[in-house]
Amino acid sequence: MKTEQRLHLCQGTGCLSAGADRLYKALAHELSKLDLPVELKRTGCHGFCQRGPIVICEPQGFFYCAIQPQDAGEIAEALSQGRAVERLCYRDPQTGRPIPTYHEIPFYKGQSRIVLRNCGHIDPEDIEDYLAVEGYQAARRALLEMTPEQICAEVERSGLRGRGGAGFPTGRKWQLCRQAPGSEKYLICNADGGTPGAFMARSILEADPHAVIEGMLIAAYAIGAQQAFIYVRAEDSLAVKRLRIAMAQARERGFLGKNIFNSGFDFDIEIFEGAGAFVCGEETALIASIEGRRGMPSPRPPYPVQSGLWGRPTNVNNVKTYASVPHIIRNGADWYSQIGTKQSKGTAIFSLTGKVNNCGLVEVPMGTTLAEIIYEIGGGIPGGKALKAVQTGGPTGGCLPASLLNTPVDFDSLTALGAIMGSGGMVVMDEDTCMVDIARYSLDFTQKESCGKCAPCRLGTKQMLNILEAITQGRGRMEDLDRLERLAKSVQAGSLCGLGQTAPNPVLTTLRYFREEYEEHIKYKHCRAAVCKGLVKAPCSHTCPAEIDVPRYVRLIAAGRFADAHAVISEKIPFPSVCGLVCFHPCEARCRRALVDDAIAIRALKRAAAERDNGRWKLYVKRRPPTGKRVAVVGSGPAGLTAAYYLARKGHAVTVFEAFEKPGGMMRYGIPEYRLPHEILDAEISEIEAAGVEIHTKTKIESLDQLFAQGFDAIFLALGAHRGVKLGIPGEDEVGVLDCIDFLRRVKLGYHVELGERVAVIGGGNAAIDAARTALRLGAKATVPAADADQEVLDASRMARRLGAKEVRIIYRRSSTEMPASPEEVHEALTEGVQIEFLTAPIKMTKENGSIRLDCVRMRLGPVDASGRRHPEPIPGSAFSIYVDRVISAIGEAPEIPEGFGLRQTKWSTLVVDPDTLMTERPGVFAGGDVVTGPASVIEAIAAGRRAASSIDKYLGGDGDISEVLIDPEEDAPFELEEGERPRVPIQTLRIGERLGGFRQVELGYTAEEAISEARRCLMCDLEER
Amino acid sequence: MSEVKARTQGKLIPLLQQAQDKWGYLPQEALRQIARLLHLPESHVFGVATFYAQFKLTPVGRRRVIVCRGTACHARGGARVLATVKKELGLQEWETAADLSYTLETAACIGACALAPCLVINGQVHGRLTPQKAAELFEERRSRED
Repeated sequence: MKTEQRLHLCQGTGCLSAGADRLYKALAHELSKLDLPVELKRTGCHGFCQRGPIVICEPQGFFYCAIQPQDAGEIAEALSQGRAVERLCYRDPQTGRPIPTYHEIPFYKGQSRIVLRNCGHIDPEDIEDYLAVEGYQAARRALLEMTPEQICAEVERSGLRGRGGAGFPTGRKWQLCRQAPGSEKYLICNADGGTPGAFMARSILEADPHAVIEGMLIAAYAIGAQQAFIYVRAEDSLAVKRLRIAMAQARERGFLGKNIFNSGFDFDIEIFEGAGAFVCGEETALIASIEGRRGMPSPRPPYPVQSGLWGRPTNVNNVKTYASVPHIIRNGADWYSQIGTKQSKGTAIFSLTGKVNNCGLVEVPMGTTLAEIIYEIGGGIPGGKALKAVQTGGPTGGCLPASLLNTPVDFDSLTALGAIMGSGGMVVMDEDTCMVDIARYSLDFTQKESCGKCAPCRLGTKQMLNILEAITQGRGRMEDLDRLERLAKSVQAGSLCGLGQTAPNPVLTTLRYFREEYEEHIKYKHCRAAVCKGLVKAPCSHTCPAEIDVPRYVRLIAAGRFADAHAVISEKIPFPSVCGLVCFHPCEARCRRALVDDAIAIRALKRAAAERDNGRWKLYVKRRPPTGKRVAVVGSGPAGLTAAYYLARKGHAVTVFEAFEKPGGMMRYGIPEYRLPHEILDAEISEIEAAGVEIHTKTKIESLDQLFAQGFDAIFLALGAHRGVKLGIPGEDEVGVLDCIDFLRRVKLGYHVELGERVAVIGGGNAAIDAARTALRLGAKATVPAADADQEVLDASRMARRLGAKEVRIIYRRSSTEMPASPEEVHEALTEGVQIEFLTAPIKMTKENGSIRLDCVRMRLGPVDASGRRHPEPIPGSAFSIYVDRVISAIGEAPEIPEGFGLRQTKWSTLVVDPDTLMTERPGVFAGGDVVTGPASVIEAIAAGRRAASSIDKYLGGDGDISEVLIDPEEDAPFELEEGERPRVPIQTLRIGERLGGFRQVELGYTAEEAISEARRCLMCDLEER
Repeated sequence: MSEVKARTQGKLIPLLQQAQDKWGYLPQEALRQIARLLHLPESHVFGVATFYAQFKLTPVGRRRVIVCRGTACHARGGARVLATVKKELGLQEWETAADLSYTLETAACIGACALAPCLVINGQVHGRLTPQKAAELFEERRSRED
C-alpha cells in the first residue's frame, strides 16, 4: 500500500504567536513549487508549545521545532526524498544529538496520551479527520447499544473522577443528575481556562473539539439532557472559533440536533462566552453567570445535579472529563481503570510551565511522580539551577518543596500535602524564585478574584495580602506568621466555594515547607532569591554574603576609576584580590544581565580593580584606641583572618593561632597555585598583620581553658573543615587512597606525591576539580617518599615537579547538571584534558599487578532524596573496571575539633552555635566558617568572619559596628546604557601548552580597556526606580 | 421570577458583549437600553457589567496591551516586563492614554504559559520576553505610527 505523506503544522496559540501562520503559507508555496503529493494539514496544539512552531512529517514521525518560514524549502525538498532535515530536528539538550522522530523525544516518550491522543495529529476544523480516528463511534455505540443506566454504570466502574479539581466520581454525578426529578435537564461543559498556569482546556478545544462534543453527547444521553452549554472564555477566541466550526459540522452530519443516529434522542449545544471571572470556575457561580447574573457561588446543597441552571437538574463537568468519556466507552471501563492508581484512575493532564526546560501539555497516568514529570518529560531545570518548589493546581494550589518530588500525582496524595490537583497547572520554580513572593503573588490574585460574597474570603484574603506585602517590604514581624496561619484557617473554614477554601493553600504550604525564607525576610531583611523589591537594592550585592556594593564598584570601573572601585570592595572584605581570583561569585548567578545575554563578569572585574589599586583607601581606614581586651582566633583561614582584622580595627588585641606552617587556611593549602598565586595571598595577609593582628603559626590549640587562662577575653574558632570523608568502599585502606585536601596541601608544601601515570579522582566538587587539574600538572615518576619528609627533602622535591600524570579521570556519581563544581572550573579542567565519567560510582578497589583495579558501576538518576536532588542508583549489570595508579578521594570534608574543647557538635562534626551571635554554648567562645557550616566558600567564610567580629565586639562591650567608608560616597554617575545584546567580554587564559608544565596562573585577567567595556554592560539595577 | 423573565435575563451577558464589540466599551446609554430591553433594573445591569473583567465602562485605546500576570509569567520575571511596559507607555494598569492610542491591561493568565513571560497587543501574543525585548516592542510600534 502506498503510504500517504502528510505534513502536520501546529496552529495552536503558542505556535501561532511564534509565526506558524506565515510558516503555513511558506510551506504551501514550497510544496506547490515541487508539485509533491503531500497533504499539508493544520492541526491543533501538539503540546510542546515552547519549541514552536512545530511541524510533524507523517507517517515517519519526523519532528521539527522552532521552524521559520525560510526553512520551508528545505523541509519540502527533504520530504520529496523521504528523509529528515537534521538541522531542524529537536536536539537532546545533554548530548546535542538530533532526535528525528517525536516518539523518541523525551518530552513525548514519557507521556501516555489518551485525551491528548489526537492533539496535533488531526485537523480540528475538519470532521473527516476526527471520523478517521474512530470519531463519534463511541457516541453511536452509546446511543444505539447502551441504556443510559449502562453508560452511568460503565463510567462509574471506570473510576473516572472530575478533572475540574474536586475529583468527584463522574459516573455517580451523572447517575444523581439522571435520577433527579424533572424532565428538563441541562449539561454544562466548563471550559473556563481562567486558571493562571493552566491552558489545557483551551488547547484541547483548539486541537480536538469533536472529542469534547462527543463526550458531551454521551453524557447528555446518559442523564437525559437535551440542551448543553459550553462555557468558554471570550478571550480564547481561537477555541471559540474552532468549536463553532466543529459544532456546525457535527450538526451537518446529524451528530447534533434531532433524532441523533436515528435513536430518537435530540441534543444540541450552545456556546456561552464567559466574560472573565476566575470564580466562575466554581459550578454554581458559572451557572449564575449563564443566567445573566454576577458570578457568585451559592450554598450547596442543593447541588446543581438537583437544582442547577434555571432550577433544573444540571450536570457540570470540565473539558478534560468530557474528552475522556469517548475513550472509556470505546475501550471499556476495565481498560480505563487499569491506568492510574487505586483511587485515581486514568491520566492526569498538566500544563507544565515555569522554570523547566520543556514547557507544554503533558498527559501521564495518575500516580506518576512529580520528579518523573519534571525531570524526564520536562527535561529538568534550565541553566543548571536547582529546583526549589513546584506549585500544582494554580494560584490556589500549594507549593511543594524539592524533597517531596517523589509524590505521585493523584487527587489524594496532593491534597494530603496541602496542594491540590486543581485544574492541572504545574509551575516549576527554581532557586531564583522567592517563596514569600509567590505566596504574596498568589494571594494578590485570589484577593482580586474573590467575588466578595463570603466575608472571610473577601476580608481575610485582603488582610493576608497586607501581611505578606509587609513581609516582602521588610516591615514584617515574627508574630505575623502566626496571624497568617490563623487567618488562613478562618478563610478556609468560612468560605462557600472552592476559591475561598483553597486560596490560603499557597500561604499555608510555603509557611510549612519554606518557613526559613519568611524568617529571613523578617529577621534579616534578606530575600535569598533577590526578588523582593522592597529589600533588594541590586540582586548582586544582596546575594553577596559580604554585601559588597557591586553596582557601585562596577560603575567606578566603567568610569576608569579602578583604585576607587577597589576601595569600595575593601570596605567589606580584607581579601579583595583573593576574591577577585577565586570567589565562586553567587552574585553572578543572580545578575539580571543574564536575561539579556550573559551575567556581568563580576569576579573578574574585582580582580581588575585589585590589580590597579593605589592603596589610597588605607588613609581612610578607621583606627580606634586600644580597648585592652584580648581575642584569640584559632585558625587562619578566611573566616579567622577576617574576624581578626575587623576586631583589631575595633581596638582589640588579636592573636591568631595556626597549626600549619603558614597562615591562610584553605586559601593557601586547598586552592592550587595556578588559581591563586601565594604572593597575592601573602600580600593581603601582611595588610592584616599591619592592622595589628599577631599570627602564631605551627601552634595547635588543644584546650580552650588554656587560652582563657592566658588572659584572652574571647575566643573565635575558625578551624575550617580539613578531614577528608572516607569513601566507605572495600579495599579503600589497602590501596592507599589519597585524601584530596591532604594531597593538595602536600603539593602546596612542596612534597612530592607519587601519583603514577593514571589517576582517578572521585567526587564532583571544586576540590575534585582542583585535585584533578593539580594531578595533571604533577610529576608522575619522582621518588621522594611523601609521608615523613623534612624541610630539605621538601625543597628538593619542589624541584622534582615534572610534567603531569598522563591520564586523569574524575568519577562522579551524578550527571553534569548536578555537579557542584563551578562550570568555569569544569570547563578549564576539560580543556586541559581531564576526563569526567559522569553517572559512575566506584564500588571496590583492589591491588592488581602493581596498579589499582577500580571496579565501578554506571548510575542513573532515580527518585529525589531528602536534599531534593535526584538520587543516583546503580544500573544493574553495568559494572566495569578501570586500572589506575592512584585514587584521590574528594567527596567532602568535615571539621576536626580537639576533644579538649568540650563543645557540642552536630552529626556532621560541625559546631553548634547561636545563628544570630555565632556564640557556642560556652560564653565567650564563638565559631564561624566551615567549622560551623561544613565545607563552603571563601566569601561565605569572610562573611562569617565579619559577623563574628561584630558579635565579639559587642560581647566585649563595643557597638559591633565594623562598617568602613574608604572613599567619599561620591555622587552616582550612571553611564548611558547600551542598546541591544553584547555578550560578556571573554577573559584571556594561558594557552594549554603553557599550563601543564607547572603551576602558572591560568586566568590572565582583563586589560583596563576590557574591564571598562565589561563594566559598561551593567544594567545598574540599584538605580532603578522603586 | 417568572420562567420567561429568567430566560430573558440569560441574554444579558451576550448582549453586553455585543454592545462592547460595537463601541469598544459600554457607554452608559447602552447599559440603559439593554436594561430596558430585558426588563431588568439598571442596577442589575451595572452590577453585572462591573463584575466581569471583560467589560469596560470607559473608552479603550486603539492598541490594547494585555500583560499576562499568570504564575508561569511571574515565575519567569513577568513583574519586570510589566514595569517596563508601564514605563514605555507612561500608563498604569487599566489606564488609557489621553489620545486613546493605548490601553494597558493585565490578565490573570492568557494561557500562553509555555511562552512566559508574555503579553498581547491587539490579539497578537508576544512571548519569551525580557524587559528589554518588551521595550523594543513599543519602540517599533511607535516608529511605525510616526
